[in-house]
Amino acid sequence: MKLLEKLFEMTALSHIAAEPGTLIMIAIGLGLLYLGISKQYEPLLLVPIGFGILLANTLGGNMAVVSASPEIEHLTLLEIAKEHGIMSFLYYSLIKTGLLPPLIFMGVGALTDFGPMLRNLRLAFFGAAAQIGIFIVLITSILVGFSPKEAASLGIIGGADGPTAIYTTIILAPHLLGPIAVAAYSYMALVPVIIPLIVKLTMNEKEIMINMKEQEKLYPNKLKIKNMKLVKILFPLVIGGIVAIMVPSAIPLIGMLVFGNLIKEIGTSVDRLNTAASETIMNVATIFLGLCIGATMRADTFLNVQTMLILLGGFVAFGISISGGIYAAKIYNRFSKKKINPLIGATGLSAVPMAARVANQISLKYDPQNHILHYAMASNIAGVIGSAVAAGVLISILT
Amino acid sequence: MSENLQMGLNLMFIGMTVVFLILFLVVAGGNIMIRIVNRFYPQITTEIKVESDSGNNKLAVIVAAVDIVTSGKGKVEGIRRLN
Repeated sequence: MKLLEKLFEMTALSHIAAEPGTLIMIAIGLGLLYLGISKQYEPLLLVPIGFGILLANTLGGNMAVVSASPEIEHLTLLEIAKEHGIMSFLYYSLIKTGLLPPLIFMGVGALTDFGPMLRNLRLAFFGAAAQIGIFIVLITSILVGFSPKEAASLGIIGGADGPTAIYTTIILAPHLLGPIAVAAYSYMALVPVIIPLIVKLTMNEKEIMINMKEQEKLYPNKLKIKNMKLVKILFPLVIGGIVAIMVPSAIPLIGMLVFGNLIKEIGTSVDRLNTAASETIMNVATIFLGLCIGATMRADTFLNVQTMLILLGGFVAFGISISGGIYAAKIYNRFSKKKINPLIGATGLSAVPMAARVANQISLKYDPQNHILHYAMASNIAGVIGSAVAAGVLISILT
Repeated sequence: MSENLQMGLNLMFIGMTVVFLILFLVVAGGNIMIRIVNRFYPQITTEIKVESDSGNNKLAVIVAAVDIVTSGKGKVEGIRRLN
């Protein structure tokens, strides 16, 4: 009998009996895996996050990330690995140090083409307008009872940028990392659903059918670029310089973004660096980021009212940010002869390039000749800069 | 609570102002940079007339090869057959 008891204690069954919430977490993990594998919603992140949840909730496996506490902070990484397992080791060395989000930004930079933004520079302002959701949800969250640091981490989901949301949360409210990362990436995956919904609520057919190419013909851009290659090499340096002077706290993200972009634009002489940034490092960073975030999500830290509020708040932040961009374009159209399709404003989110692609699809549905992808990419890329700057402001004021 | 709310309102005001300001500076800086490059470093494009389509393809390959080998410094100005 004693032997059977010991056998039962050895298996995970005894732990599950003691913590039934684990079963819900395993269901959530499997649900994210289903969304990633079957529905193809952000599979590169939802698959590692989902699997990380499964690992963390295999009780007795010592694969869950232990929450930060004064005791943990005094341990060396070797001691953390020994006492709390390898996921805690990875979390405290790669995530808690804030290493992975900047590395992912470097990869994003190496995959981003600033060309559309350079050809339509003034559309970059919509990347600023679409950050309004961050701050409105921040205030609402404070009213609901979150502390300013927690509210800022929650609001930044509205920037629609996973690495930025994670970076901000690591610094301001690390205990909320799991739910905020899941909300950020889930809503980014739901961009093809959320943008059409907000567009339906805020735009009419006439506005959706504004043809950007016709407007371009009526009021052509006076400034033509005569040496695109050189301009593309210099532009990341200009962005980096401006952010470094004005919001240095955003430099870990923007600095790495523009570095990644610079090595992309230099061309063949640094092709190996470009490949490393955009493929090797980016892929490794994505795997560890996803697994570690998943491993922070245990039943006792995830299944609570706060998580529900974060998921709800994140959705609202997303919606307000999209409408903020749309209304900014509408206001612009009131004062300008050259009209802008408000769908361009809706792409001021930083979910690149999905937001721009979705806006283009909506536009083509109403008029098969009205291709706005090129223009939408301009505000979409500006949205990446806008959300990282907003994060920099929040970090520098709240720390 | 009211202190936190005040903080939230301040963050909104400062945050949105800074985001707009940075993107304004990026737009202005970008415009100035484009003007400087246009004035001092315009790319000289030479049009080479080639009659057949297959010639066009060959030309594209030659231009791309020269671009890679010379790291973008070399320009193809003409093509002639050597004996």
